[in-house]
Amino acid sequence: MIIAEGLAKSFASPGGGRRAAPVHAVRDVSFEAADGHVTGLLGANGAGKSTTLRMLATLIRPDAGYACIDGHDVVDDVLDARRQLGYMPHEAGIYPRLSARENVHYYARLSGLSGRDAGHRTGELVEQLDMVGFADRRAAGFSQGQKTKVALARALVHAPRTLMLDEPTNGLDVMATRGLREILRTLAARGHCVLFSSHVMQEVAVLCDRIAIIADGRIAISDTLPGLLERTDRHDLEDAFVVALGHDVEPRPAGTNATP
Amino acid sequence: MNLRAVMIIAFKEIVDNLRDRQTVFYALLFGPILLPLMLGGSLAATFKQLSIDFDRVTELAVHGAERAPSLIAFLAGQNVDAVPAPGDPEQTVRRGEVPIVMQIDERYGEALRTARPAVITIHLDEADKGSVKAARRIEALLNAWERTNDQLRLQHRGLDPTVFDSLDIVSNDVSTEGASGQLLASLLPFLLIVSMVMGGFYLAIDTTAGERERHSLEPLLGLPLARQEIVLGKFGATLAFVSLSGLLCAVSVWALFRLFPADLLGTRLRFDAPTVAGALLLALPLMPFIASLLITVSAWTRSTKQAQTYLGLLMVLPMAPFFVLQYLDPGDSLWLMPWPMLGQYLLLERSVLDLPLSVTAVIASIAGTLIASALLLWLACRLYRQERILS
Repeated sequence: MIIAEGLAKSFASPGGGRRAAPVHAVRDVSFEAADGHVTGLLGANGAGKSTTLRMLATLIRPDAGYACIDGHDVVDDVLDARRQLGYMPHEAGIYPRLSARENVHYYARLSGLSGRDAGHRTGELVEQLDMVGFADRRAAGFSQGQKTKVALARALVHAPRTLMLDEPTNGLDVMATRGLREILRTLAARGHCVLFSSHVMQEVAVLCDRIAIIADGRIAISDTLPGLLERTDRHDLEDAFVVALGHDVEPRPAGTNATP
Repeated sequence: MNLRAVMIIAFKEIVDNLRDRQTVFYALLFGPILLPLMLGGSLAATFKQLSIDFDRVTELAVHGAERAPSLIAFLAGQNVDAVPAPGDPEQTVRRGEVPIVMQIDERYGEALRTARPAVITIHLDEADKGSVKAARRIEALLNAWERTNDQLRLQHRGLDPTVFDSLDIVSNDVSTEGASGQLLASLLPFLLIVSMVMGGFYLAIDTTAGERERHSLEPLLGLPLARQEIVLGKFGATLAFVSLSGLLCAVSVWALFRLFPADLLGTRLRFDAPTVAGALLLALPLMPFIASLLITVSAWTRSTKQAQTYLGLLMVLPMAPFFVLQYLDPGDSLWLMPWPMLGQYLLLERSVLDLPLSVTAVIASIAGTLIASALLLWLACRLYRQERILS
């Protein structure tokens, strides 16, 4: 369960001096991601998705606002918040000289599992995520899909209640994307809270139970897909997204190009 | 502090980097073996070339040996066997057929009998080190022969030979080993320090700046670990490589100096096992210092390339005392001791020269270096707590 209320974060302007105006990456982000659901954080590039997720992952401190993971404050109760959370950043960031199994095992050990439990849990994830074929190969030559699987296994290794993924389908082919979708659905069905960010409408529409649209560092609207369509009086997510952002949409006859 | 996590990180970084050829080359081969061989080997070769072994039996090409039978007998007594010079002395030396030729003048015997200077010509090739060395040996022997002859001539005429020695110049070198000894003595700290720095160089960069560049830092920082545990883990791995490099370097320096002729090293210059082991002990505090310096500087940089540039510049640091101390004689100044590297340079030099070490100096050196290491580690932890580490 993730709760965010009024999160804000600004950075010093890159390359600018001390007097340069700060960049407001996130201005006002409030939303909830419930257990047993897949929640999508939908926004264009630069809208503030990654900064929001990094604040929730306790990697950067919010300038204002409050957020908690399963009741643990991301500022005051950092270590407990991290224990509840599996976080998969934008880049897989796996170690190329370690095998897939070693990569996952390392995180298992760091999450507090004993050597034996870590080996067991790693083996389980290798099976679950269909990594058997490449589990013992060094990661240097892995495809994007293989890297994502390793990163996902790593995020799941301590069996966190909450899983957060930053644009996980980037660079994945169709089959790998479908595979990942399946995994996330299964996790949600088991009662996990899954939050994932994306700028791909179709993907969010297909997978997410709830969608929070973020633009210019603010949550413009947050609801279920049918709720979004109803509130914006549109038939597909793309149009709803544009309306939510306050832009006009070209008129289009109802019933065409509707999102499934 | 979760020590278990620190150990897990350190172990992973060691295993990971042992799979990297570049890191292994610099940690296990370059500093510990290639560098001592290159420096020590070339020094040993130079010394060998300059030194003359008077006990070694050599042949000397002599032109006109039959004119000076007693001189030839004297030379034979000094391990120099005369052989007939092949052909024209000048040409044979120029062509390099023999290193030198000693030519005895036709009127040599007559000159000796009439108590006039007898001419002996040494043909040598100044451009050839072997020839110069051979000539130096023969000249030294001829000088000895001449002195004996002079004394005999004077005594023959009832004169005390010392009448001609109006000055007796005594040169009293109070340094223990002279300039070359000093240079050789500073070789040990130089090699040890450079080797330790090179040993941890690539691992430190890989585990900090490299981790940022590979984007593997972000998920790592998201784990339920305190930042200082992560820093200490990386420090531990770097320390292991630095220590291993230092240890291997000490072993190879010890092995290398066993090949040096004993008389070259002088009576007090010591490179035996206890001295090298003692030097390694004195250099021990440098290991955490170098490891924390490498970690902190590369954590501060934004990319591996930048880290390599900054640390490359920093490589001048271990060499600085080596060059400064060649010109400066700081004596026993206690205030130099707490400075990391400089203190160890002075202490190691003294131990190689077999000079007594003051306990205060040793304590000052250890304390200064350890305090500097702790400060650097604290700085690295601070860097890892900043959000800038992710950008």
